[in-house]
Amino acid sequence: MNATPTFGRLGDHAVDRRRFLGLIATGAAVVGIPGLLTACSTTPPPAASNSAAAAGDVIPKYIPVTYIDPDYPSVNGSVPGYEAIPDELVQSVKDAPGTGVVYTAMTPLWGTIPPTKGNKYYEAVNDLLGSEIQFQITDGNVYGDKLATVLASAKDVPDWVCVPTWNLPPRFGSEIVENVFQDLTPYLAGDKVTPYPNLANISSDAWKFCVFNGKLFGLPFPGEVITDAIFYRRDVLDGLGITPDIKNGQDLLDLALELTGGSVWGAEDLWNSAAIIHAVPPKWKLDGDKLVHRVETDEYRAALEWNAALFASGAVHPDAVADQSGEAKARFQSGKSLIANDGVGGWHEAMRDNLASNPAYWQQPFDPFHADGGTPVLWKGNPANIFSFLKKTDDEAKIKELLAIANVLAAPYGTTEYDTINNGVEGVHYTRGDDGLPVPTELAATELQPTYIFLVDPPISETHVQYPGYVKAASEWKANAAQYATDPLFYAQQIVEPQQYASIGQPFVDLEKDISRGRKDMRDLDAAVETWKASGGDELRAFYQDILDQQS
Amino acid sequence: MSLSELVRRRPPVVTPGEAAPPAPLPTRKIGWRVRLKRDRSLLLMVTPAILLLGVFAYVPMLGNVIAWQNYSPYTGFLHSQFVGWANFERVFSNPLFVDAVVNTLIITAFQLVFFFPIPIFLALLLNSVITPRTRTTIQSIVYLPHFFSWVLVVTVFQQIFGGAGLINQTLRDHGLGSGFDMMTNPDTFLVLITMQSVWKDAGWGIIIFLAALSTVPPEQYEAAAVDGAGRWRRMWHVSLPALRPVIILLLILRLGDALTVGFEQLILQRGAVGADVAEVIDTYVYYQGVVYGDWSFAAAAGLVKGVVSLALVLGANKLAHVFGESGVYKRA
Repeated sequence: MNATPTFGRLGDHAVDRRRFLGLIATGAAVVGIPGLLTACSTTPPPAASNSAAAAGDVIPKYIPVTYIDPDYPSVNGSVPGYEAIPDELVQSVKDAPGTGVVYTAMTPLWGTIPPTKGNKYYEAVNDLLGSEIQFQITDGNVYGDKLATVLASAKDVPDWVCVPTWNLPPRFGSEIVENVFQDLTPYLAGDKVTPYPNLANISSDAWKFCVFNGKLFGLPFPGEVITDAIFYRRDVLDGLGITPDIKNGQDLLDLALELTGGSVWGAEDLWNSAAIIHAVPPKWKLDGDKLVHRVETDEYRAALEWNAALFASGAVHPDAVADQSGEAKARFQSGKSLIANDGVGGWHEAMRDNLASNPAYWQQPFDPFHADGGTPVLWKGNPANIFSFLKKTDDEAKIKELLAIANVLAAPYGTTEYDTINNGVEGVHYTRGDDGLPVPTELAATELQPTYIFLVDPPISETHVQYPGYVKAASEWKANAAQYATDPLFYAQQIVEPQQYASIGQPFVDLEKDISRGRKDMRDLDAAVETWKASGGDELRAFYQDILDQQS
Repeated sequence: MSLSELVRRRPPVVTPGEAAPPAPLPTRKIGWRVRLKRDRSLLLMVTPAILLLGVFAYVPMLGNVIAWQNYSPYTGFLHSQFVGWANFERVFSNPLFVDAVVNTLIITAFQLVFFFPIPIFLALLLNSVITPRTRTTIQSIVYLPHFFSWVLVVTVFQQIFGGAGLINQTLRDHGLGSGFDMMTNPDTFLVLITMQSVWKDAGWGIIIFLAALSTVPPEQYEAAAVDGAGRWRRMWHVSLPALRPVIILLLILRLGDALTVGFEQLILQRGAVGADVAEVIDTYVYYQGVVYGDWSFAAAAGLVKGVVSLALVLGANKLAHVFGESGVYKRA
């Protein structure tokens, strides 16, 4: 159920993967400072402000390793791409570090949940690890709901928990993280990371984002600089003889309407796209020297009006109008709707899920454009969009073993570990084609779901060589988009918001749906903004102003 | 104590016709040790149920103390700060909560009129018209949807009544317009959710009524028929009076549940029609408590709901007594 990513209401089933535009907005990063109930502009918020400054001392030393040079080097911070699998793979961790025990891990998955019994992919990776990771997998669209409940009961927390930033539950920074999860500072800070070379290979920015209250808690899934895109079904449009040339918001509305007919609709709910093309700030922007919240901006209004126009035109699939966002990908991939927003990671996942049944399948992101035809502004994603945490324990050996396992999982491209984690076993999950590239087998579609990657990841790289043409297309698109990447205010800072502001953003989650679907209009937005200001919005502004003042 | 003594201590049997004064409650005379001994097997039998009730109902109720605290599960209710009635003040001053209450009451009232009577009609119909064999077949068929989960029910409805559903598709194929979309229309949402409830649960609801009807001796129908009562009069004067205590009982219980309207059903469709019509107390409490971590506020809201529900049950029960019905319970 539920539709597009918006504010990242945590219980909302809609939250799209790796999106960032909404996830750090009002309701999401609801993490508080205990006892700060009286916070106001006169009280400097200590925990929040110093976390970024102090981060330098607690993060691991950066020691880069390269096994192979990329075919598409990074441009403006874009993701480097690799066209081929090297002939010689290096095993970066010689001996499996595990002691043969079973660890539980909770992870999301945007895909079909794989079988756990007799899964040859799991067996292969667990062999590399030496211990078994037993996954508790939940559909990514509803992961936040499960997380909120599991974390409310510290005893039931698995050994290793993945937490996407947009699913950060309330009170996370203030209470949960210290009570439930292990402080990794003593194990990883500075030179202590040396026993784990693959972890030391992860960028400092990504580690900084894992610092809560001045301590290192998380293991990062390094993020992309551009996290979201607006995709269209190029294979279907080619068949219709349409080559889209989208220069502004009106072009996209026109295209969506043109594609609608019969039992095919032009678009899914494009609220996230609307926010992208109107450059709606993820949370705050600076207007002169005054902080303006996302919901107060003209960009936000314009995006809402644009999305409402899209809905009003009738180009949105009726099930999306009914807010059945869980099936949005299924509709898009089966061709019932032809334009949809997704995280860039959704691109290769779609290739994985569809190429077997539909070899011509191709979804392509539109080149970035601004709604008014001007220069696009793409807000940079967090240096880590997903992180994972280890359950708090006094058992030092267990922490060290889990970190050693993480070290295996973080092996970069060009290693045996990376190859197995991403492609499975040769002859079982893929065979080599004539060009030496892996061709996924049918078993890969059921067994080879990315699960380990949600625990920890090497620096991000584009390596899905098994989908013909994909690495080239993706690397080129990303390099092009990266030129528009812009730092949002408070970029890469893990700011812990006081708990009492947790729910003041809630009305906007509903409002975005209501206005998009024509049930409410801009007057309701004005009223909601006034309520927001009165019920803590202005105090929140002062809270952030303090942080800003301390940094300048 | 001998058996004869025990018998002697039991209340005297009053012979009919004798104007015996009402006997005082006998238990007062018997010491608790004696009673314990006398009833020990009964007490033993009831112990597991009491334990269960205690562990799973009464002990957890103590957790309601968080409604007066600024509670967090990580500090626990022993160490959370007490804030008096502040949470309740926030509940009552919050327009969103008031909206949720209003929505809940509207849904309850609507369903009381358009959902509650349907199982009664169905039961009467099944009972009077059809042969036993056909009756059980129909019964099984109408029971079935009860076992579907709400996710399934909502999906089935979306596939039929949605904008891309069966009906609209058929209309479009025949060029009859394509505006039909019942799933996203806030104005007809009440009708929609009631339809869903009827489809899912009306069949299940007839069980109790059928059971009540089966206790009516056939002689009563025969006697009525002999007296010249037609089908309608037999239903009015024989079947319905037999059902009346059950109807009243269920009505009272339903009133106790008045503030509980299909949580899953509504949360699944909240986005489709908007919070303005689909936010009810339960969904509101869920978002505030679980999603935004404001457990104390949610507990206060939940407690308000509990108190109102209790008052409704007691009130309805009292009303039933006024009309000479026994209701849910009667003081001895």
